[in-house]
Amino acid sequence: MTPFLEIRGIRKQYGPVVAVHDVNLTVDHGEFLTFLGPSGSGKSTTLYILAGFERPTRGDILLNGKTILDTPSHQRNIGMVFQRYTLFPHLSVGDNIAFPLKVRGWSKAAITERVRQMLTLVRLEGFEDRKPAAMSGGQQQRVALARALAYDPPVLLMDEPLSALDKKLREEIQHEIRRIHQQTEVTILYVTHDQEEALRLSDRIAVFSHGVIDQIGTGEQLYADPATRFVAEFIGDSDFLPCRVVEQVNGRARIALNDGLIVSDIPLHGNSARKTDGMLMLRPERLSLSTKKTEMALPATVEDITFLGTHVNVATRTADGTAVSVRLPFGHQAISGIPRGTGVWLTFDANAAHVFL
Amino acid sequence: MLLNLNSLGAWKWILLAITGATSVFLLLPILFIAALSFGSSQWLIFPPPSWTLKWYQDLLADPRWLEAAWTSFRIALMVTVLSVLIGLVASFGLVRGRFVGRVALRALFMTPMILPVVVLAVALYAFFLRLGLNGTTAGFVIAHLVVALPFSILALTGALEGFDKSIEDAAVLCGASPLKAKILITLPSISHGLFSAAIFSFLTSWDEVVLAIFMASPTLQTLPVKIWATLRQDLTPVIAAASTLLIVVTMLLMLIAAAVKKGMKA
Repeated sequence: MTPFLEIRGIRKQYGPVVAVHDVNLTVDHGEFLTFLGPSGSGKSTTLYILAGFERPTRGDILLNGKTILDTPSHQRNIGMVFQRYTLFPHLSVGDNIAFPLKVRGWSKAAITERVRQMLTLVRLEGFEDRKPAAMSGGQQQRVALARALAYDPPVLLMDEPLSALDKKLREEIQHEIRRIHQQTEVTILYVTHDQEEALRLSDRIAVFSHGVIDQIGTGEQLYADPATRFVAEFIGDSDFLPCRVVEQVNGRARIALNDGLIVSDIPLHGNSARKTDGMLMLRPERLSLSTKKTEMALPATVEDITFLGTHVNVATRTADGTAVSVRLPFGHQAISGIPRGTGVWLTFDANAAHVFL
Repeated sequence: MLLNLNSLGAWKWILLAITGATSVFLLLPILFIAALSFGSSQWLIFPPPSWTLKWYQDLLADPRWLEAAWTSFRIALMVTVLSVLIGLVASFGLVRGRFVGRVALRALFMTPMILPVVVLAVALYAFFLRLGLNGTTAGFVIAHLVVALPFSILALTGALEGFDKSIEDAAVLCGASPLKAKILITLPSISHGLFSAAIFSFLTSWDEVVLAIFMASPTLQTLPVKIWATLRQDLTPVIAAASTLLIVVTMLLMLIAAAVKKGMKA
C-alpha cells in the first residue's frame, strides 16, 4: 500500500552546508507528527520544503504516491500556520478566512457558510468583523489555523505556531489544536523545539539533530528507549556517567563504573564493536536514594535539595565528580532533614538505564 | 519623556523663543507672498495700501498661466505614476533580492538626492540634445523622475522592510499565485508607503524649477518656470498670486498626507 505522505531521501544543501541530511519518513493519513529538535537541526527546512518555499537538493516528496515537488506552493493545496502572526492586516477576520476560498472561486453563499463553520471550530464566533490588530496573539493564531483549514487541505504544516505566546496561553491553545485535530482528522506536521509541547500533542515524534532524524516514535518510546544520547537528553531529564563496557551480549551490556561498581544487563545503544568507553544514562525519576549503605549502589554526596511542589529534586555528585539528580516524591522519608554534604547511595533499575557508546 | 517642559525652568522660555523665531523665519516669506498677492499696489509695496483680487483675476484670465499650471499638473501626475511603479519594482529587488552589490545599488539609487541639481540639469540637457527630448513632455517627465525616484524608493523600501514576508507566503499557500499575493495582500499592507511615495514624487515634480528651466521651451513651461520667466521680465503681483496658488496646492497635499497617515495609525 502506498503511504499517505512519504519523504524520500530529502537533502538540502546551502553551498557546503548540509541543512537536511537524507531524511526519510512516512506519515499516515490523519496522523499528528512532530518534528522536534533544537534550532538549526533541519526541522523547519524540511517543513519549508514540504510547503514548496525551498527546493530540496535531492530526494522526493510523495503525497498519495505522487510527487509534489513540481507543483508550485500555491497549487499544492497545503495549509500552514507560521511562527509569526501572518493574518492579512488590512482584512477582517472573516475576510482572512475567506481569502483562500475566494482564490478558489467559491460562491459567496458557500464562503459565508464556511467562514461561520471555521469560526465555530476555533471558538471565535462573532469575531468576523474584527481586524487582526485588535486581537490577542492567541486569537490571531486561532484565526490563522481556521484560515489554513478552511479549504480542507490534506496536510497542515505548523511551524512553531505557539512560540510567541506565554506558557499558560500556549497550553490552552495546545488543547485547542488537539481537539481540532481529532475533530477534523487532518494530517498535521508540527515543528517545535519544546519537548513538552511535542509530547502533549503528537502521535509520533521525529527527533531532529544536525539535519538527521535520530529517532521516530511515540513519546513513550522515545522516553523509555532512546536510540541516541541526543534523544535521551532531549526527551525528559537525564544525567550521564562515564563507564566502561566490559561485555556486550544481544544489545545489552555489562558495564564498570569509575568507582568499580559493575552492573549487568543494561540496554546498549550504538554499535561499535571496538569502542568500550560509554556513557550510562540515568533518569532522575528512576533513581532511588538511601542514606544507608546498599549493595550494588552508587555512592554520592548531596549538594542541594530543591523543593519543586509535587516533588523534591536532590542534586548529588558522585566520587568521580559527575552531577546526578534524583527526583523524589514530596515528603519522601529518605531525605527528611539530611544536611548538604551527606553521603548517600543511589540505586537504579538496569532496565530503566541505558548505555550509549 | 526625555524633555519635560515644566522642569526646565528658565530654559523653557529660551526654548519657546527659539521655536517661535524659527517658525516665523520659515513662515514669514510665505505669508508675505500671500499678503502681496492680495495687495493693490502694482509695485509689490508692503504693507499693501489696500486689498484686491485683481491679480487673481488677471492670473485666471491669462491662458498662458493656466496652460503652465496644467502642464505642471500633467507632468507631476505622470512622474508620480512612473515613480511609484518603478520605485516599487526597484524596492522589491532591493529588499527581497539576494545578489552581490545590493547595498551599493541601493546607495546608487539615492545619488540624485545628493548631486547638485544644476549638475544633473546640465548633464540631462546635453544628453537630451542628442535625443531631441529637450522641450518635450517626455524630457520633463524623465528629468523629474530622476529626482523623484530616490524619495519613492526610500519610502517603499522602508515600507517593504517593515512588512513580514511570511504574510505573503501565507497568501501563496492559501492558493494565490506569487503575483496575486503581492497585489492582493502585500500592496494593501504597504499602502502608507505607496502613498508617501506618490505624494513626495508629485511634490518633487510640482515645484521643481532648476531642471524645468533647462527642459522648458517657449511653448512648454511648468508653473515654476513661468513664474521665473515672468519675474525676469516684469515685477507684477500676478507672480505673487501664482506663487500663492502653488503653495496652496502643496499644503493641501501635505495635509491630505498627514490625515491619511493619522487615519492609518488609528
